[in-house]
Amino acid sequence: MATLVWLQTGSCSGDTMSMLCADSPSVEELTTGYGLEILWHPSLSHVPTQTFDHLLDAILATRQTLDILCIEGSIMTGPHGSGMYDTYRGRPKMRLIQQLVAQAKFVVAMGTCAAFGGVHAAPPNPTDCVGLQFDKLAPHGLLPLSWRSSGGLPVINVAGCPAHPNSMTKTLAMLLSGMQLELDSLNRPTMFFKAMVHQGCTRNEYHEYHIEETEFGGKGCMFYNLGCQGPITLSKCNTELWNNRSSKTRAGVPCFGCTSPDFPLDAGLFNTEKIGSIPLNLPLGVERSNYIAYKSLAHEAAPDRLIHKEMDV
Amino acid sequence: MAKRTIQLALNRVEGDLEFQLELEAGKIVDARCVGTLYRGFEQILIGRNPWDALVITPRICGICSTAQLLATVKALEHIGGITPPPAAVRIRHLCLMAEIVQNDLRQTFLFFTADFCHPKYAQQAFFEQARSNFLPFKGRMHLEALQNSRHIVELIALFGGQWPHSSFMVPGGVTHPASDNQIIDALTILQQFTRWFEQRVLGCNLEVWLNLATYDDFFNWLSAKAEHAQSGIGQFTSISRALGLHTLGQGTPYMLSYGSLDTADSVRGHPLMGQNLNNAGCYNGITGLTEALDQNAISEHVQYSWFQPYPGGLHPSKGVTIPDYQPHSERYTWCKAPRYQDHVVQTGPLADALVQGEPLITALYRAEGDNAWLRQFARLRRTARLLNSMQASLKILAASPNEQHILRGISTELQDGEGYGLVTAARGALGHWVEVREGKIRRYQVVTPTAWNASPKDSAGRHGHWEQSLIGLKVDDPDDPVEIGHIIRSHDPCLVCTVHVAKAEQPYQVWPG
Repeated sequence: MATLVWLQTGSCSGDTMSMLCADSPSVEELTTGYGLEILWHPSLSHVPTQTFDHLLDAILATRQTLDILCIEGSIMTGPHGSGMYDTYRGRPKMRLIQQLVAQAKFVVAMGTCAAFGGVHAAPPNPTDCVGLQFDKLAPHGLLPLSWRSSGGLPVINVAGCPAHPNSMTKTLAMLLSGMQLELDSLNRPTMFFKAMVHQGCTRNEYHEYHIEETEFGGKGCMFYNLGCQGPITLSKCNTELWNNRSSKTRAGVPCFGCTSPDFPLDAGLFNTEKIGSIPLNLPLGVERSNYIAYKSLAHEAAPDRLIHKEMDV
Repeated sequence: MAKRTIQLALNRVEGDLEFQLELEAGKIVDARCVGTLYRGFEQILIGRNPWDALVITPRICGICSTAQLLATVKALEHIGGITPPPAAVRIRHLCLMAEIVQNDLRQTFLFFTADFCHPKYAQQAFFEQARSNFLPFKGRMHLEALQNSRHIVELIALFGGQWPHSSFMVPGGVTHPASDNQIIDALTILQQFTRWFEQRVLGCNLEVWLNLATYDDFFNWLSAKAEHAQSGIGQFTSISRALGLHTLGQGTPYMLSYGSLDTADSVRGHPLMGQNLNNAGCYNGITGLTEALDQNAISEHVQYSWFQPYPGGLHPSKGVTIPDYQPHSERYTWCKAPRYQDHVVQTGPLADALVQGEPLITALYRAEGDNAWLRQFARLRRTARLLNSMQASLKILAASPNEQHILRGISTELQDGEGYGLVTAARGALGHWVEVREGKIRRYQVVTPTAWNASPKDSAGRHGHWEQSLIGLKVDDPDDPVEIGHIIRSHDPCLVCTVHVAKAEQPYQVWPG
């Protein structure tokens, strides 16, 4: 058995709701098959909050071991550094978290808010919120970047807004199984962040031949004009589908880059920023002049079935 | 008699909720409803392109993100004078209904019935049965509710790409048409779900269930067959009533519903009102009369809230949300106090049903008033109704697949103006009020369903609905007042959108240092 405590800070509960949609493995499979003991989850525990208070006391007094601490939500440090925008029993949650992380073998940031600050950190960041080890792209959050849990890992950032259901449960299943978790430079588990959102998008053939939409509701690619960040964003959205069915880009919704530290961008989210007629941000690692050449040639080669949008997505 | 102050934190609600309660002789004599989180969404939205709200506002709430999206898109369409095509309206509401069904299932069998497994009830006759059905991750209904709530939101993913937090509704329609493929997939999901719901939650088919119209109809039905008594709703009812939940939790008699669940016909005439699946209005429980909704009659007070003060109430279109943390004052919450025509109101499935005049819920309300059991019961009653509506909606879509789903030529630059979007979300009346100037959001005010229910005192010193529903309650064990959990959870609280700070002394050692 391994113990888990889940805390919500500045959050919408969306990561919890997303995780309840996980099916490989499901949350109930984590408890029955992987030996997870959920000591506390604010939405799921049936014991009263007094039990939670005693549990906190026991963990902090090291009478109770804590194997996995999951944090869902931005860490509110305002107003004026007091943390009082987010409290439990009249005390700032950021202080509670600072104490609890010291007791946990592993700490997991469930979602972009806990990892990087997320939507609440968008300008003007009214609550002065941060992530656990990052403040957007800056390498310091509530904790310094050098911080490690007793299990030897930094905060494991299962980024996403919300995090992908199965990415959350698979991360927990790997920790429960004693498997090694490889992390990328943003401390995200590499296995979920080694493919672009673009990979597996059903609009890829349109992208390939440079058939770009200028309005919503169509079948073409949304990268050039409609703000889609699929070719710039690392996530499994199109290789392990959402709710077993689809993804935003398949449904005609641009990728907003929600697994990235700078989500949500400050500029218009449904428009692509450009230099001339070419997107400012090119697909990851691509050189501009080569890209321009490739795109104009690609458009020349486009078949009628794509030009006339006959292909379904 | 010595007064005692207790501070109670509640779990199994969405977000953080605390109460400060004054007890005298074991009875609650004063109540302050205190959330504990401020997130600042309204400030984040100011100065952005109005379309950005389609991405930002779903993140207000992870359990009703589709409702938030719909409120935003309706407000933007109001400003732009845009009427979406009928198929878009159907797809939007089909997805909203699926989200509500998901919510009702999780709220009932993950959040509400778990209280029946409280150790306090170990000696009750129902205890073993309650544990075998409702214990988290072990009880049969708990596990089945997990699995089936997972399946029903697949329907939203078919049209919107993912649940939660998609942005597939945009001014002018939805981003993807209802193709033959999606329609069949959606019908399959819905039919499988409905069969499970009939077998396990109701113990009979939807038609029989929805035909129950009177108090006697329902109680005769309950005892008529073992399948009825053993169903989810049967067990929930018998345990609730054994605990007296049908006598607890009476609050304000004013019931607010925004109606919504627009039919395509209603949208064609006017983007906001008109012929809806549900009526919009305010039901007066004292007179039994319903008045049509007038959104101009909504105001928000801040005298007891942590916001920069203004006298009296302001309509949300004139509202301001500037945090002003004052720990040592009469103010006790970040939540504003919304009022309708100066009434303290409650909102949610019970209010929706009463405004609609739904026969069974009206009959039960007339017999026993509003109470914790009836509120929860009204929620499951709604689920059955929604499953029928979803089926009907999908049949219309199936008659003409790939029908126009979005207007052409809609720009992401929105004209200046003011608009609002009113939606019936899972928890009741949700409203967004938006002002656009020079192409940017100048003002954005959200009044959530829980803001109505969890309201603090207003400028006239009148308590909010939850506070009212607790004052006068006798509490068995002030250190573990499970009754309060039943009453408040029957409202399906969602505090993630609101905000508060507590200040009373702490009755428990919480954590050192």
